[in-house]
Amino acid sequence: MKPDRPWLTLAGIAIALGLLPFFMPDGTLDLFPFAGARLPFHAGFVDLATTILVFGLFAIGFNLLFGHTGELSFGHAMFFALGAYATALFAKGFDVMVGPVHLQFAGSGNALLALAVALTLVALWAWLLARVIVPRSSGIYYSMITLAFAQVIYFIAFHWGDLTGGEDGLQGIPRPEVPGLPPGWLGDGVHFYIAAAVVAFAAIVINYGIVRSNFGSVLRAIRENKQRARFLGYDVEKYRINAFVLSALFPALGGWLWAYFQQSVNPDAGSVDFSGRVVMMSLLGGINSFAGPILGSFVYWDLQNRFARFDRYWPEIIGIVFVFVVLLAPRGITGAVEDLRRYGVGAMVRRSPGRRSERPAP
Amino acid sequence: MLHEIADQVFNGITLGMLYILVALGLNVILGLMGVINFSHGSFFMLGAYVAYTLAPHVGFFPSLLLAAAIIGVLGMLFEIFLIRPLYGRIPEYALLLTYGTALIFEQVARRIWGDDAVRYPGLPDWLAGSVNVGSYAFPVYKDVFLVAVTVVILTAVWLIINRTNIGVIIRAGTRDAEMVEVLGINMPFTFTLVFGLGSFLAGLAGALAAPVYAIIPNLASQWIVLTFVIVIVGGIGSFWGAVVGGLAIGILSSLMELVFPPAVELTGFIIMGLVLLVRPRGLFGVEGLFE
Repeated sequence: MKPDRPWLTLAGIAIALGLLPFFMPDGTLDLFPFAGARLPFHAGFVDLATTILVFGLFAIGFNLLFGHTGELSFGHAMFFALGAYATALFAKGFDVMVGPVHLQFAGSGNALLALAVALTLVALWAWLLARVIVPRSSGIYYSMITLAFAQVIYFIAFHWGDLTGGEDGLQGIPRPEVPGLPPGWLGDGVHFYIAAAVVAFAAIVINYGIVRSNFGSVLRAIRENKQRARFLGYDVEKYRINAFVLSALFPALGGWLWAYFQQSVNPDAGSVDFSGRVVMMSLLGGINSFAGPILGSFVYWDLQNRFARFDRYWPEIIGIVFVFVVLLAPRGITGAVEDLRRYGVGAMVRRSPGRRSERPAP
Repeated sequence: MLHEIADQVFNGITLGMLYILVALGLNVILGLMGVINFSHGSFFMLGAYVAYTLAPHVGFFPSLLLAAAIIGVLGMLFEIFLIRPLYGRIPEYALLLTYGTALIFEQVARRIWGDDAVRYPGLPDWLAGSVNVGSYAFPVYKDVFLVAVTVVILTAVWLIINRTNIGVIIRAGTRDAEMVEVLGINMPFTFTLVFGLGSFLAGLAGALAAPVYAIIPNLASQWIVLTFVIVIVGGIGSFWGAVVGGLAIGILSSLMELVFPPAVELTGFIIMGLVLLVRPRGLFGVEGLFE
């Protein structure tokens, strides 16, 4: 266990969130933002910083499951999409016929109520799903089943045009008003980033609490050895179900932000591509570390912006980077840095971490 | 109406044959090595493209075999250079790695063949026509040739697994690969062979699908998800699971076209949900395997 300095960690994260937009003046990392005659802050690219936060939240949820409980979900985009669609429909209202039943809602500008609806809906769906999946599967079987169920959400979003707008999705979602601030305050990209950073920080604190609680320790015990955890008297299945539901809530929160941020939602939010992205982010950053998922989100978007400019086949490069990470540094950037600090350069390669017998303690 | 149902059933059989080949390929690899290959769909897609590219130059039959063989060799190289370093790690890492390579393969296909669908140049005359049975016209390629090829390949794979020495090694390895290695069998070599066989089946299915369906780079992601569903329905690592699962999902999703068209793509998932509730390991699955 590392020395216990929670306040320092959280203060560091708060500062990082505050500074993030300054270090991405043109969409990629710039280590010296204040050097030269350039403006350190480009309003157009602050949106990228917001995107990083949204996906950071998404990755935090995924990591709670994969990094801490040891279960690889390849379908977490379904919770992101559900959260985003629930928010969009709550904000815009809907008017559909489900068989003989006429469902109608006028729409509401209350963002907190939208959040409550999104979280409740996702929690319910995740709980139902977990009740089916968790007792019946683990390991790679679990990954395949979560992927398949995520496709169900994707296809429903794609084909139920009356409710979801089909392939085009829902557009024109109004950004909410913040009481006490001038109307339309969130319409500005910088303001929206500030609001998103506050939400992200709150979520990070909650996640920090979960990870460091007894509950978090039990999850890691389950990751290391299910049977041992069971013999110690823990109801493994119940913990796995709760972990699944909790880990679904962070993507839902991300989806809530995403809907207001993009002011539109389309079925891509629930695609395999989105699920895979968040898997890659978490691994890039490092699944066993606390800051890993957010760092991974940052690195992913940085890579994408760097390469998408001159190469329209940029996912190829991300794929190559990802393959190298899996082969050579399976604990991601934070893991590699830690190994470097502990063992030096040569040892990092020789150790080939991630073996079954020596999964590192968080 | 009866005619339409028959149409859809035969469409479903065509689709089912391809599903069977792809799912069997995935299952053979999964069964022996416990490796789930996300790039399996990419091998299917590449098989279709390779057959499309070769057909005008070498003719229909050689293009079919060459495409499958090329993808088989690609699979073996893939296993040697990328999967082998991951043995000894938790199995999730193979899934993650093959997800990354699937991204790469898709972009490579876009680079070479473009983003838009390409159309197969055309079948030889004797395959392009149809046979009349009563008032019903069967397209020769889809309803006769594809089924015949699949049955031949299935029989061959079944014989390899159940009647040859390499099959004994594969079946024993599925139970306990370490023990088989202790007995003096070169397991890494067997793994490579089996990975090659699985990839060969995916490549062959792709080559067979090339004349029937539009060939596009995202065939890979569409097919891999469906293959997962078939494997879950049939049971992980099971030969008959792949056969029954593939055929059932092929036919039922085609029939859904008549019942409720928007739900066609959901059919497989609905079946999967039902099967999971009743038989958690799939129709032919064995409890405790690969968990």
